Amino acid sequence: MRSDYAVVGKRIPKLDAPDKVTGRTTYADDLKMSGLLAGAIKRSPYPHARILSVDASAAEAVPGVYAVVHAGNVTQRPFGYGHDNIPLKDRVVRCVGDEVAAVAAVDAATAQSALDLISVEYELLPAVDDPFEALQPGAPRIHDELDIEGNVSMEWNFQTGDLAEAERRSAVIVSGSYSSPQAAPAPIETHVVIAGFDADGHLEVISPVHMVFMYRKELADCLGLDWRRVTVRQPPVGGSFGGKIDIDAHDFIAVMLARAAGRPVKLAMSREEEFTGTRTRQPIHFRLRTGAAADGTLQFRHAEVVSDNGAYNAWGSHALLVAMNTVTSMYRVGTSRLAAKVVYTNKNYGGSVRGFGNPQATFAVEQQMEELADALGMDPMDLRLKNANRPGDVTPQGLEITSCGLSECLETVRRKSGWDQRRGRMRSQHRGLGAAAYVHVGGGARIYGSDGCGAMIKIDDSGRVALISGSSELGQGSETALAMIVAETLGVPLEAVSVSHDDTDVKPWDVGVHASRTTFVAGNAARMAAAKARDELLEAAAEVLDRPARSLTIRDGVISVPGEPTATLRYEKAVRRRLLREGSSIIMTSAFYDPPTQRQDENHIGNISASYGFGAHVAEVEVDPDTGMVRVLGLWAAHDVGRAINPMSCEGQIEGGAVMGVGLALSEELPVEDGRFPAPNLHDYGMPTAMDAPPIDVTLIETADELGPFGAKGIGEGGIILPPAAIANAVADAVGVRPRSYPIRPWRLRRWIETGERSHVDKHPHPVPDENAR
Amino acid sequence: MNGYYRPGSVREAVAFLAGNPEAVVIAGGTDLVIDRRLGRADPQAPLVDVTGIDELRGVRWDGDELHLGATATVREIESDPAVIVRASALAEAARVLGSVQIRNMATLGGNLCTASPAAELAPPLMVHDAVAAIQGPNGERRQAVADFATGPRTTILGTGEILTNVRLRAPALSGSCYLRQTVRWAMDLAGVGVAAWVLTDRTGREAAVQEARVALGAVAPTAVLVPGLESLLAGAPPTTERLGAVSAAASAACEPISDTRGTAEHRRHVAGVLAARALSIAHARAAGLWPGGLAPVNGRAPAAASSGARA
Repeated sequence: MRSDYAVVGKRIPKLDAPDKVTGRTTYADDLKMSGLLAGAIKRSPYPHARILSVDASAAEAVPGVYAVVHAGNVTQRPFGYGHDNIPLKDRVVRCVGDEVAAVAAVDAATAQSALDLISVEYELLPAVDDPFEALQPGAPRIHDELDIEGNVSMEWNFQTGDLAEAERRSAVIVSGSYSSPQAAPAPIETHVVIAGFDADGHLEVISPVHMVFMYRKELADCLGLDWRRVTVRQPPVGGSFGGKIDIDAHDFIAVMLARAAGRPVKLAMSREEEFTGTRTRQPIHFRLRTGAAADGTLQFRHAEVVSDNGAYNAWGSHALLVAMNTVTSMYRVGTSRLAAKVVYTNKNYGGSVRGFGNPQATFAVEQQMEELADALGMDPMDLRLKNANRPGDVTPQGLEITSCGLSECLETVRRKSGWDQRRGRMRSQHRGLGAAAYVHVGGGARIYGSDGCGAMIKIDDSGRVALISGSSELGQGSETALAMIVAETLGVPLEAVSVSHDDTDVKPWDVGVHASRTTFVAGNAARMAAAKARDELLEAAAEVLDRPARSLTIRDGVISVPGEPTATLRYEKAVRRRLLREGSSIIMTSAFYDPPTQRQDENHIGNISASYGFGAHVAEVEVDPDTGMVRVLGLWAAHDVGRAINPMSCEGQIEGGAVMGVGLALSEELPVEDGRFPAPNLHDYGMPTAMDAPPIDVTLIETADELGPFGAKGIGEGGIILPPAAIANAVADAVGVRPRSYPIRPWRLRRWIETGERSHVDKHPHPVPDENAR
Repeated sequence: MNGYYRPGSVREAVAFLAGNPEAVVIAGGTDLVIDRRLGRADPQAPLVDVTGIDELRGVRWDGDELHLGATATVREIESDPAVIVRASALAEAARVLGSVQIRNMATLGGNLCTASPAAELAPPLMVHDAVAAIQGPNGERRQAVADFATGPRTTILGTGEILTNVRLRAPALSGSCYLRQTVRWAMDLAGVGVAAWVLTDRTGREAAVQEARVALGAVAPTAVLVPGLESLLAGAPPTTERLGAVSAAASAACEPISDTRGTAEHRRHVAGVLAARALSIAHARAAGLWPGGLAPVNGRAPAAASSGARA
């Protein structure tokens, strides 16, 4: 692999970090503007109720109130996947936090006091917060306007191979149920949206959303606006972790308030609203069986899945499709079957949180790998390596595995953690090791007609190189990675490159930031635009140096002729020679990159991503069996990143993801009581602190993906996928009981230890034919 | 009425409070500001800021008596070298309360007067038999800290009264310890908090228990002392069998609820587990067997460094 790059592969602190850590960054909530009003939303206190009447007259009479909106005085259309949601609920509320009315006023206190004067009359309806109860005949119907049975919003089914035959081939079959909780992305910056119309009726929306072009279309569709007359600006984002992908009811409501008030309006979510009124990670319940031959060759995987969707469909309803990839394509599993139901419940609904269904699926799949290994008397790492995906594999769903460092990742964490010497040998100290590995999209994910992203480059007379990317920076480090790709491709110093990506009027189209796709897709677009700019630069220099452009090279901003030390030219001089003359021109290029992938068909078959990321973790835990407290002593992480554009940033993504994963495994949870979150705050929610973060040893495995920019693959989500599974496996090694659900809070683990929750194994589940019995 | 008053003496504070019964005392504000924002306290009530009163400040020792001013910060308490050695339970409770930033603001008086069932400092003060001094319109009175809280968020303080200081004795051959169970390892409220204190007759492994106290936090409407320990422990070292009896007594003294920090059953069980561990550590300290330093927060021997790679 090439290693003589000037910029790529260097450890570069994030370009936006100094402003962020010194408090200089201006987030949406910091923006000041003339005439800006404060908005506030009246939300349902009930999980399921009919709205009988809304009386806003007292609120409208409050001095300082500019607008009061509710379903009775606005024009709105349904939104959400399947159009099962509407911004201001008109007939029924289906979860606590549902938006019923809203106020815009001179300040937040006035808006809040007016909100309290809006009188809403409800007729309570029976509510259901458990998806299995929601599936029962006679359960309350959550969407009686939809033609669906049993509150099933969607069903996803996949099957390949002959399951009965695969069962017959299996010497051992393990089975079990695995569950995950409702969790939250919980970014530091809560959702904030500012909407305002200019005198011509052009709408500007300022929002930290990161699928801005889809957001613009959905805003316009729902509100009956001409989407050519909508501009979305994205200020710096104070964290998202996927929570700001979806458009929420409050986005539409801000526009409604601005239209009614004739002034710009800001809606800023409180922390409580962030938990109750913006999107969460959906609980997913797996019943899984895995079978293997006596030599450990996997024979089949069979999953029955119920996703607890909550009240409406956001993008999170599709998290099951990622879970499906894991069930069918993690390791060479061959025969696989998945039947999944996405079930409505009267709860806050699931969105697109980092990992998107994969932590939940991997928790089931990777615990079962260790259960299977134990039942076979094999080392779990040997079982994984025996079945590991390899370059050239095509999985049952048609995923084409190209670059693949899975085996190297497994071998690395095995060696570094001391697995062979320590696993299974520390139970007397209640310590244990557990492993897990993943497959996740690493080269975009075609979930939409295009999976593309545009890029534009201009070089001005100072030599400043501006990349205008369709993509967005959310704190994941893409701005720095894109600047590095441009600097490397152009051959200019990194300090000369700026990145803009904040305005739909300026930037070229992009699907948005999701699916770990930005470095790969936006990076390729930036690389292509930069390559064109480099060609133009060299042509400009060729005129000055009187040498053919193809004979020139550029590095660190100096254009030179190999072998002629005196024939050099600074690149900015080449730009000025083109500009400062009659018939002048400047250097401005553009590119659009759409990866060579397929949307999956109705049978869920298709190569959805241009490359796939892999990784493996080993966790070491110490359990206090008498209190149930678990301490993670260490985490070894090896990730196939293709190529680390910025190793520092890659490590940061992996470490940050891993700490979020530790939170999922041990503490993060939004319990529901009577349809409510009793503790919608950061004190009770259980995000890990620095004291909970283990030492994390990261190894970057570079496999130089053929299609990735400089070989890079996506790594935004990899870190969070594995800790729940690896920690559960480590707990099983430490104390001999298997956590079937997370978070592994102390009282649950103590109960499992007392009751002895163990694996369910069928050895020789079927009569074994004689020829295999030897 | 809205307002803010910053008296310079206890006398002025008491006079103001007596004349303005709706006024509330503020020091660090780490509980009160949140309570006002959430509507648990009247956001309009006038504030009496007691941080300007010199006589309420400080942590100081007078022989084996520890004097804690009501506005001594939690950080001052955990940082006092003599508190760490002689009133270890207090240091161990102080160092797990909130974050360093919060501990720099939060005060002893605030922690006791908020009277949360999970108040971190109440159990260690109770096992140390601490006495609270209360100043009011009719002069000073003294009350055991064990009797200070009367229920969740209620205390014995009457109109016009403020807590001025807390005093306790830490005699030779005594030792204490505070342990807790939490969901995460920092920035968390106790699911169960347990303090233990022991006075022995000598040093060494054979040291017999003369007196012992165990107090439990977060398992009842207020922190509670476990009754009947003298008969279980006095006159002998705390053997495994005797510690088992302490566990049973501690579990029996709980009246826990189930919430996001634990089920009632679990809290009752863990109160027993931590009571035995805390008592054992307190005995080791009293008997001169403790190697020094603070105990792990759950009292379990700290894990040796992992033998794998740990950068």
